Amino acid sequence: MSQPTPAGLKSSARTYTHPGLPEPADKDYAVIGKSKPKIDAREKVTGQARYTADLKFPNMLYGKILTSPHAHARILSIDTSEAEKIPGVKAVITHKDVPTLKYGISPARWDENIFCIETVKFVGDKVAAVACIDEETCYKALKAIKVEYEVLPAVLDPLHAMDEDAPQIHPEYPLNKNTEIHQNFGDVDEAFRQADYVRTDMFVGNRTYQAPMEPHTATSIWQGGKLTVYSSTQSPHYFQYYIAREFGLPMGDVRVIKTYVGGGFGGKLEPTGLEFAGAVLARLTGRPVKMFYDRAEMFAHNRGRHRQYMKLTTGVNADGRILGVHADFIMDGGAYTSLGIATAYYAGAMLTLTYDFENYRFDMNRVYTNLPACGAQRGHGAPQPRYAFEAHLDNIAKDLDIDPLEIRLRNARKPNTITPNEFVVNSCEMVACLEQARDISGWADKKGKLPAGRGIGVATGSFVSGAGYPIYRTDLPHAAAMIKVAEDGTAATLYTGATDIGQGSDTVLCQMAAEAMGYTYEQMKIVAADTETTPHDFGAYASRQTLMSGAAVKEAGDEVRKQLLEMAGEMVDLPPERLSVRLGRISAKDNPEITLTFEEAARTFFVQKGPLMGRGSYAPPKLGGKHKGAPVGTSPAYSFAAQVSEVEIDEETGEVAVLDVWDVHDCGQVINPALLHAQVHGALYMGMGESIWEEVRFDAKGKIQNPTLGEYRLPTALDMPRIHSSLVPSYEIAGPWGVKEVGEGATLPTMGCFRNAIFDAMGISVNSLPLTPEKVWAALREKRKANGEDIWDPMACECFLE
Amino acid sequence: MYLPDFDYYAPESLTEATGLLMQLGPSARVLAGGTDILVKMKSGLLAPSALVSLKNLHELRRIRWDADRGLAIGALATHNEICNSAVVQERFLSLSEAAHKLANNQIRNRGTIGGNLVNAIPSADLPPILIALGAYVTLAGPNSSRTVPVESFFTGVSRCALEPEREILTEVVIPPQKTTGSTYIKFGLRRSGALAVVGVAAAVTMDGNVVRDVRICLGAVYKVPTRAIQAEQVLIGKTWTNDLLEQAGRTAVGCCLPISDIRGSAEYRRDLVRIFTRRALKRAITQGHV
Amino acid sequence: MQAIADKQGVKRYIISLTVNGDEYSPVIKGNTLLVNLLRDGLDLTGTKKGCELGDCGSCTVLMDGKPVDACLVLALEADGCEIITIEGVAQHGELDRLQRSFIDNAAIQCGYCTPGMILSAKALLARNPHPTEPEVRAAIAGNLCRCTGYVNIVKAVLDAAEVTA
Repeated sequence: MSQPTPAGLKSSARTYTHPGLPEPADKDYAVIGKSKPKIDAREKVTGQARYTADLKFPNMLYGKILTSPHAHARILSIDTSEAEKIPGVKAVITHKDVPTLKYGISPARWDENIFCIETVKFVGDKVAAVACIDEETCYKALKAIKVEYEVLPAVLDPLHAMDEDAPQIHPEYPLNKNTEIHQNFGDVDEAFRQADYVRTDMFVGNRTYQAPMEPHTATSIWQGGKLTVYSSTQSPHYFQYYIAREFGLPMGDVRVIKTYVGGGFGGKLEPTGLEFAGAVLARLTGRPVKMFYDRAEMFAHNRGRHRQYMKLTTGVNADGRILGVHADFIMDGGAYTSLGIATAYYAGAMLTLTYDFENYRFDMNRVYTNLPACGAQRGHGAPQPRYAFEAHLDNIAKDLDIDPLEIRLRNARKPNTITPNEFVVNSCEMVACLEQARDISGWADKKGKLPAGRGIGVATGSFVSGAGYPIYRTDLPHAAAMIKVAEDGTAATLYTGATDIGQGSDTVLCQMAAEAMGYTYEQMKIVAADTETTPHDFGAYASRQTLMSGAAVKEAGDEVRKQLLEMAGEMVDLPPERLSVRLGRISAKDNPEITLTFEEAARTFFVQKGPLMGRGSYAPPKLGGKHKGAPVGTSPAYSFAAQVSEVEIDEETGEVAVLDVWDVHDCGQVINPALLHAQVHGALYMGMGESIWEEVRFDAKGKIQNPTLGEYRLPTALDMPRIHSSLVPSYEIAGPWGVKEVGEGATLPTMGCFRNAIFDAMGISVNSLPLTPEKVWAALREKRKANGEDIWDPMACECFLE
Repeated sequence: MYLPDFDYYAPESLTEATGLLMQLGPSARVLAGGTDILVKMKSGLLAPSALVSLKNLHELRRIRWDADRGLAIGALATHNEICNSAVVQERFLSLSEAAHKLANNQIRNRGTIGGNLVNAIPSADLPPILIALGAYVTLAGPNSSRTVPVESFFTGVSRCALEPEREILTEVVIPPQKTTGSTYIKFGLRRSGALAVVGVAAAVTMDGNVVRDVRICLGAVYKVPTRAIQAEQVLIGKTWTNDLLEQAGRTAVGCCLPISDIRGSAEYRRDLVRIFTRRALKRAITQGHV
Repeated sequence: MQAIADKQGVKRYIISLTVNGDEYSPVIKGNTLLVNLLRDGLDLTGTKKGCELGDCGSCTVLMDGKPVDACLVLALEADGCEIITIEGVAQHGELDRLQRSFIDNAAIQCGYCTPGMILSAKALLARNPHPTEPEVRAAIAGNLCRCTGYVNIVKAVLDAAEVTA
């Protein structure tokens, strides 16, 4: 059906066969694959769940951070004397009172200080902190600190950050270049020469923010030389590591505990001023110090999504087969690196996953600006490029008169292939996702046949199931787990460093532990995310926990099962291979009358041998190529998704009503279907918000204009479309039981999907996010003018007012 | 966040309340539902020395209809009380619908009609429909009261005719009228919890297909809610047609001066005024309820 | 009501209110907000703070049966009122049908919006036992959720309504 690829170019993806075990024929699972209720559901519906801000400690103080009102300024003096006099103020600190070791979550770019020493670099940068007897006194104390600034010119436009005459933000990074990337695979120039059609498009993304419902909070407590930090964190380990480093403490003397977290979405992966300043204030006062950000401070602290300026050039055959792609991007990193180096690499890395092309060039500059720092937000650098590429592909499809879904089928990646940037893709049901999306959405009956103002669009996405390499260079396994069976076997406790921030990892890991042991989920207990009591795990990011933490949990459960069946074998005088265990019942495989309970065998084990425990750990294999930046984007496995959306546009006002969204996911074996679909709903919801409503806006001096949940518009329950979440059967050989990720995958296709539906409805392309009604309105007017229609000019009418 | 310190009073009568205002001076404020004033206080925009709470003035919560005065709504009636009131739904359904468009359910359970008017932001949702229906407010002072048409109540951004040191807004009255249809259309950037980018209210008195009378009021597009008198004049005495309504819409754009801000550009708002004026008129004319 | 001034002249007031069926008479400053009285004064931390400006609904409580944002209610204004917080929904340790429906319908992820959602929904079902889907969405439109896209929450509320059909 498709044209042969021109000679001289690599014609198809390299293939790869994973050495792991094939898909089991019998998948009669007892615990996984079931929609078990969340293990923490009762605590959450009754209000018993205590989040970090809900914790109280005897003698506790409250702390807050003073921030800069200027985008870029030199600190001339700080006078804390008036603040210190206020009754109830117990400590006031500035850079003189804290370690000046630079920190950051990206090891290659330690560019932050606990408090600014010479210059402040964005409105919201940290200058000082106070500890007081209550919240109100903190706010008053901050107001009483007098800082003299010399205002400096600021870099507020990322497109001019690299100009020769732009103000320099970090002296170590000339031209404000934080990260510069040039990757080249195959021969893009030759691909363009041989292509039947080459097209270039330019798209601009939006600066958005995770806006979790729970604000950052951290409470620090010292006992002698040991620091305990309760924090709203996605990774107790990274917090522990970086706090220990900053204060020169052994890791063993820093305990980080996660209680309940009200959402993170990437913004709570790195320690903030609350942890660092809180630790110092707690040390100085000798009392627990609880520090928190209010909503406006959350927006200023940020670490949200980078705005990207994306130029894409693609060469295709006459039948739409992609031969080569050049992605040339600039991203606004804000004042510090945060996770931004990885973000910059991810932006380009993920583009090669859903469609198969061998020639690819990626150029990127992540620049510093005097705006709040950007980091990792759900999808980590990949959603905006995905929007751009999906829009770009629809433009190409239109130019070549090929159905947008069909062009994607022609280019869809196949399983067991290697991408040009050296990512190994085992399972991949991209074709099945697209076909099912086409079927359940009624694409064939709708495309080109909808009434005026309605449109249907499609997009794809793919994401990592855990990063192949951790954030800092280490040989530590990525996950470890322990299971302790109770002495009488009536419960089993899973100890894991994995971090449940709402996505449900505690629940699915308990299901996996029970499945591996042959136990019941209902009897599982869990202790998680406490660096002193739970084994190491890198935490919740890059959608890693189901696969990586799950692999460690499975290993631990398998070890328990093995010991248990050996014990049971002794009790019934059979070799353990002749026994099976399921849902707490052990029986002989060929004689169902020989049976005993898990509890009986476990108790006997304890009496004879001591604690019945299992241990497991997981490290991914060595992944990736040898080019610069090769590690970023590597993963043991990749999820795939196709989304179709149907929209209705008010042709006068530009309002876009999304009627339905169909999401079809390939995420391997499903551990908990209800929680999985819930994650799809949530990821899609965030993609929706970023597509139409969300944008952080700044005034001319770099101050956020909309740091509230009233003006930074998250979709409400009334704004949502009908969501149809569906799966294709899939098995991932690199994941325990064949699992892959789902937490971030559904955010990726959404923005491109809506843009394409609008394009289908009105023939207009909105080339920047968010796709606001005003932008659609403006594009419609341009189109009508270009068609020679008479457009009434609202600025030119007679004015009756003064 | 925190609130600055203030003295608090909860008078038991209107006389006591106005007396307190006189006594406390210009930095005292009246507290009704608190949804506007507490936000301003938390944001550092306001630090009153005293708050005079109206919560014990139960007579200000009543919603009544009588044939002479019309619909009298106590200033402390909350937006949800107005929305859900059988009397309001029967007499002026468009007001019930308008009240439902404010903010969200929790805010509507506390926010009051009095507070919405005295807060006087240009994008407030109740003023346009009240003006289209010819409503007036009663302002009670220590010794006397006066009435002011809602149409002339607003004097600037966040400014109104009420004298805060001596007066309390006690009721909003919509007089009996021959209006055959009215409506309020709010264009916000999401379907809940959004300020109006543009708001248009229209009230018509039809005689068959002839427009005997019409009142159009625009919100969020000028420093105060504003009547689109020239647009009304396009229609009065005429038989309505879609083209005529479009013409009225275009004319209405001349009755506003919207600004460009983070919610929309002036140009977009003007075009929305055209569109929604036309749509509000059409709905008021064809839907058959007030 | 009674006011006493401290050494700095800052007035404190005694109020009386009922919270989850228990009567309290706390002494508070005028600028105490209901949300802080509940969380700090009465240690009922189920009511959350998400924005403190009435935009997110995390602090929703029932005040004389009506859902309000506790961050925008002075404790003084709650004098004489009956407040229900999330801690008062389950009775004698028995979850109410809404709570069970939230669990059964996987309507909880991070859980931070859950208390407010349940109270908004509870008030809805009390006055409208068989709401339509748009009515459910309108009732919870003032409760922002960042995790669920509201899909399972709406389903949970409709399912709980069915129980009494």
